[in-house]
Amino acid sequence: MVKRSCVFGVVGMVWVVMTLAAIAYATRLALFVAPTENTMLDVQRIFYYHVPTSMLSLLFPYVNFVSSLFYLGWCRRDPLRALTADAVAIAAAEVTVVYSSISLLTGMLWGRAAWGVWWAWDARLTSMLLLWVLYVSYLILRKLSSTGQTQTLAAVLSVFAALDVPIVYISIRLVKYGVYTQHPQPVFGGDSNSGIAPAMMHAFGWNVLGWAMWGISLLLFRYGLERRRQQSEQASALKAIEGSLEIVQ
Amino acid sequence: MQAHHLLASYLLVWLIQGGYAAWIVWQWRRTGKELQPDPADLSPRDEGS
Amino acid sequence: MNRVPRDPSARAEASHPFRKERGMDGAPSYFGCVWCHLQKDLRLEWRSRDSVVGMLFFALLVVIIFSLAFDPTAAVSRQIAGGILWVALLFASFTALNQSWTREQRNRVLDAQRMSPAPVSALFLGKALANMLFVSFIELVLAPLFIVFYNLHALGEGWMMLVIMPLGTWALVCNGTFFAAMGLRTRNRELMLPLILVPISIPALLGMMQATTAVLTGEFEPGPWIRMLAGYNIAFTTACLLLFETVLSAE
Repeated sequence: MVKRSCVFGVVGMVWVVMTLAAIAYATRLALFVAPTENTMLDVQRIFYYHVPTSMLSLLFPYVNFVSSLFYLGWCRRDPLRALTADAVAIAAAEVTVVYSSISLLTGMLWGRAAWGVWWAWDARLTSMLLLWVLYVSYLILRKLSSTGQTQTLAAVLSVFAALDVPIVYISIRLVKYGVYTQHPQPVFGGDSNSGIAPAMMHAFGWNVLGWAMWGISLLLFRYGLERRRQQSEQASALKAIEGSLEIVQ
Repeated sequence: MQAHHLLASYLLVWLIQGGYAAWIVWQWRRTGKELQPDPADLSPRDEGS
Repeated sequence: MNRVPRDPSARAEASHPFRKERGMDGAPSYFGCVWCHLQKDLRLEWRSRDSVVGMLFFALLVVIIFSLAFDPTAAVSRQIAGGILWVALLFASFTALNQSWTREQRNRVLDAQRMSPAPVSALFLGKALANMLFVSFIELVLAPLFIVFYNLHALGEGWMMLVIMPLGTWALVCNGTFFAAMGLRTRNRELMLPLILVPISIPALLGMMQATTAVLTGEFEPGPWIRMLAGYNIAFTTACLLLFETVLSAE
């Protein structure tokens, strides 16, 4: 056991070092090397943080959903393994909230600079806000529910949230009123004059990589923390039981 | 106005990401203390009836 | 013609209230169970009437507060009445939903339910249907009030409200009953229900408000919204029925 955790420790450290290096390089590219855009000048550089973060924040909810499914599948048959799935689920939920918060805030800063308004009820902004709200409600359920029930209830809520996300997506696009088409058209896969300048692509690609690696690091560390907490709880429960046994003697 | 936004977003990203990572480390340390064996438990307890 | 048997135990069996709901092998059918639970909730509510009265008054207060907030002219009132109606119903239903499960906690009836062979999702369905009836009753009382307070008459096709109201109500009540059951052993149950229910219900809320506004103002088609609501209901009712047992036995 000691050996395994040593290996994990070393791999973890190497990963973190690589991640920080990637982010440092990506930041340098974003802030200094990438060409300045014509219309928005330097503010456009927010794009290098905002878009990768938004893309990644759509990925972690799936991790939460899949691990919740595993939890529900294992919770009767193999409770100990189910706990690992639960640890992944909460880690993914917290990372989702972190990434979507950053996406919303950097988006608002960009929007203020580009369109003059802090917020607009645009399809994408609203969907991101609702994603954030859904996963905050997941974390609140975790906090408020009684121990012993938390994991199962949270897994069920995760299934509901996963069902909800595509419906939110469809319903927001049905709204024809208001400024629902203000968000800049998709840069990738948009119409014929979309597409990012090749010089910017380099910086953009590195930012996606760097923040993805960071997200995975956060996931791993939060998972480790949750496992540690689970073991601590089990240890104290065991202590309590042993304590009550002594009294009986 | 424009430079402020870039700086603000840059700081924000690091505040949030760094803050979350710091929270994980802090919680890790706190949980570690609970996992360490309590010296009082190692000696035999005198329950008395 | 049913003849009453002489043997006392057989007579008791014959006059047993659940006898009609039993299938060929004597076990209660699924919808028999649902009907029993529904009857139970309706009977309990009829005897105390606290849930319905509370809901009604709360909804009325919400409507009054919104009229103070907006002071609408006839044109504007048509734009906002749809939203206000569903907000009032949403808040009113929170009070009823939490209460509907407190009934099950007295006298350890939930444990009895777990020990019985009756399917657990029948309990959920019966309770959700009961809540549906209560909220629909509130709507019937609230509708004339709305028309009066906001001087409404529908510029679109008014009959569509008969489709929108049940679909919207079921979306709120189905998920609401489910999440209220989730909160059974939570500390701070009354706080948790709105915090969990509203985010999940946002697409449904959007749908019912937009559809109602479409009917009232006649400015756009409610069709897509009604279809979306129907899809939402199918998806989430299925999820609730399948996952209810997991929630109830989450220990």
